Amino acid sequence: MGKASTSSTTKDALALFNTLRSAYSATPTSLKIIDLYVGFAVSTALIQVVYMAIVGSFPFNSFLSGVLSCTGTAVLAVCLRIQVNKENKEFKDLAPERAFADFVLCNLVLHLVIMNFLG
Amino acid sequence: MLKLLSVLTFLTLTLPFLTHSFSPDHPTDRRILVLLDDLALKSSHSLFFKSLQSRGFELDFKLADDPKISLQRYGLYSYDALILFSPSVDRFGGSIDLAAILDFVDSGHDLIIAADTNASDLIRQIAVECGVDFDEDPAAMVIDHTSYAVSDTEGDHTVIASDDFIKSDVILGSKKIEAPVLFQGIGHTVNSENSLVLKVLSASPSAYSANPKSKLSNPPSLTGSAISLVSVVQARNNARVLISGSLSLFSDRFFRSKVQKAGSPKKHEKSANEQFLTELSKWVFHERGHLKAVNVRHHKVGEADEPAIYRINDDLEYSVEIYEWHGKSWEPYVADDVQVQFYMMSPYVLKTLSTDQKGSYFTAFKVPDVYGVFQFKVEYQRLGYTSLSLSKQIPVRPFRHNEYERFIPAAYPYYGAAFSMMAGFFVFTVVHLYSK
Repeated sequence: MGKASTSSTTKDALALFNTLRSAYSATPTSLKIIDLYVGFAVSTALIQVVYMAIVGSFPFNSFLSGVLSCTGTAVLAVCLRIQVNKENKEFKDLAPERAFADFVLCNLVLHLVIMNFLG
Repeated sequence: MLKLLSVLTFLTLTLPFLTHSFSPDHPTDRRILVLLDDLALKSSHSLFFKSLQSRGFELDFKLADDPKISLQRYGLYSYDALILFSPSVDRFGGSIDLAAILDFVDSGHDLIIAADTNASDLIRQIAVECGVDFDEDPAAMVIDHTSYAVSDTEGDHTVIASDDFIKSDVILGSKKIEAPVLFQGIGHTVNSENSLVLKVLSASPSAYSANPKSKLSNPPSLTGSAISLVSVVQARNNARVLISGSLSLFSDRFFRSKVQKAGSPKKHEKSANEQFLTELSKWVFHERGHLKAVNVRHHKVGEADEPAIYRINDDLEYSVEIYEWHGKSWEPYVADDVQVQFYMMSPYVLKTLSTDQKGSYFTAFKVPDVYGVFQFKVEYQRLGYTSLSLSKQIPVRPFRHNEYERFIPAAYPYYGAAFSMMAGFFVFTVVHLYSK
């Protein structure tokens, strides 16, 4: 009984994963690039947190600016993804060029602040 | 020429009149007013007065009820110290009264009070103001049936041979007092809450205070070693007061007397009164135990000038010179327990100063990682010594914006992350724009 249920859960999980993957393969390339970019930012942030746990929090301002730079980048990229997604009806009146311009401006401000705080 | 000579004589004669209380700048020129009940005391207590005169004090003997005596002239004190050998006086003559004497002490002058049996209310009041209560019974004397002085004539055991001294080399001199001190008079108690009063000579545990002529019907109010025979006070302004319950303590008769304490086989050729009172009067008149601190300096390590402000975590050096007055000159004071505080509401640094044995004290420490207005404080209070209280204010500032450490190796991964995010942003922008 237990064995049967375990195998059925595995099967369900596999099925779910496959469905997700096939659904995701239908996503436009531009959105996939954004996802890749977000993944890069988040993994850099995680590496820094692990490094801080090992080395200690001494230049704490540098640590904060490093991690906040990554999370800020990730958040801004996610915002861009929401706005340029054609299936999202909420932003259908917003031109993708306008969304991209907002994204660039916000990034410039973010990096200016990060540079000041990096110290 | 004759005129000039007379002016010079006039100046030399009047200069001693313009005296001040003991101060580190004017430690000499000491005039003492001695108020007596009876001018016969001048000869019966001559040894004590001579020892003062031989040490350079000018004594001015006056009867306590002399109508012309006054401590002040035109707002300036004409004397540095006052000796009251007038236990029975009810009112002083001239302008001297209780308030005048207290003002005299409050302005840093020294005082010796000798009371005796039948001491007047005035003398008792002065003593009370100094923190000492004499036995209220006017006929009472200190009696001790175990440590009295053996005598052929006196049998009531009121002449006490006491050797219960305070243990302080500053107050009683470094030479040990071998013989007992003869005492005949009234006892007093010191207020235990008053930390400025010290019992210099205490009665033995078997002493009590009562009228020796009448039979003891009630238990005596003062008993045992709670009775103080001689006490001293050092006020917060470093004025010193000696209070004795006996006038004959100072007398030539006791100075010269042979002494044998009851129950002790040892006969001393001479009582210790002379040594005890000479040393004690040296202390009272600031010939010993008076400290001064000069040349308080501090600077950064490796620099000579005193800065107007320190930065947190600066290394600094602090030094001070302390001298003790030895009657004629300032000698280096040597001790290993002088401490400096770096103080802002509470001491952040407390360090014992090292000494070079020549009066110079120094130390080095790091300014704490806290900014604000600090003080260098030396609070030195030791038994018998005048209190030293130095403080010097100094502000401490945080790092300036350009004084912080840059390019710390441990922070390179964070720098790398921030720059890779910028590079990533640039690459992403290009890819996003041209990937249609």
